[in-house]
Amino acid sequence: MEQLWFTELLNRAFAKPVNAIMQALPAPLHPAHPEAPITNPVAMQVLVVAFLIVVFLIIRSRLSVDKPGGIQHIAEMLHEMVADQCESIIGHHSTRYIPLLTALFLFILIGNLIGVIPTFESPTVSGAVTLGCAVVSWVYYTSNGIREQGALNYAKHFIGPVWWLFFLMIPIEIVSDLARMMSLSIRLYANIFAGDQVTAVFFSMIPIGVPVIFLLLHVAVAFLQAYIFTLLSTIYISLAVAKEH
Amino acid sequence: MRKVMFVIFAVVVVLMVATPAFAQAGNQSLTTAGGRGWAIPLGAGLGMAIAAGLCGLGQGKATASAVESLARNPGARPGLFIFLILGLALIESLALYALVIAFQVLGLKS
Repeated sequence: MEQLWFTELLNRAFAKPVNAIMQALPAPLHPAHPEAPITNPVAMQVLVVAFLIVVFLIIRSRLSVDKPGGIQHIAEMLHEMVADQCESIIGHHSTRYIPLLTALFLFILIGNLIGVIPTFESPTVSGAVTLGCAVVSWVYYTSNGIREQGALNYAKHFIGPVWWLFFLMIPIEIVSDLARMMSLSIRLYANIFAGDQVTAVFFSMIPIGVPVIFLLLHVAVAFLQAYIFTLLSTIYISLAVAKEH
Repeated sequence: MRKVMFVIFAVVVVLMVATPAFAQAGNQSLTTAGGRGWAIPLGAGLGMAIAAGLCGLGQGKATASAVESLARNPGARPGLFIFLILGLALIESLALYALVIAFQVLGLKS
């Protein structure tokens, strides 16, 4: 198994306790390499989360109303972007959804972009990581739908517009609800994975100059996919919490 | 024109008759050539090509009508933008399913 230097660092420090915890879990969850149980995507996720926490601690310590610095401007711009989007899609009372959506956006964005730096790798090239993000989104919008409308009213969504077609509509609606998770995760994973592969292929053909174009394309795709993930999550939340008239 | 059509149909018919023979050869090389024949990469590439082509067609149509409506009513930009990106993402995901399946078939995994 190939290890990035950061993974190796983590494994050197935490291999024993992590392995002990994983051995206590059921058999399918045992690590494939007991001497190095931390995989690259996990290590990169840890790095992304640590990076975000450090950045926001710095922003938090430097907040000022009179003289906002550059980094504060960026943070405010980001918040405004997500808030505007929430306002236009979900409508009023959308402020409570902003923190999770912003966190998802930043995690995915930094996760996508970290792969551009040499000796790092995007955690989102692993389908498991993107599935984790999609499951978070699904759990969030389902729980918010149940909280807003009550379990019974939320379940009524699955019957569809005409009640006597319920035996047809319920399986279809359940599958389409679960397929959202699949499509969210596969879209992100396949885009980032394909971007990496395309850059690698062109690098093997012409190692000078040309891969830069595809690297730039990859950066654009990284922004776009993070935005699309957030946009779709917002739309799913708006569909889940919308009151029927 | 009719002659050309006749020739084309004749070629198609001949190719259809020839398919079982090709399939047999394909099957043999599938099992013999080091566990990996020529048909698998060919199928993956063809599938991806069809998916990419049709996805491009769909995205082109969506973008064309978005641009057209933007030219008629430039004030509709913010609402249009969200729906355009959303539609493009949903269309694109279909091609990406094909890509994931192609990678699975080829045995390349991340």
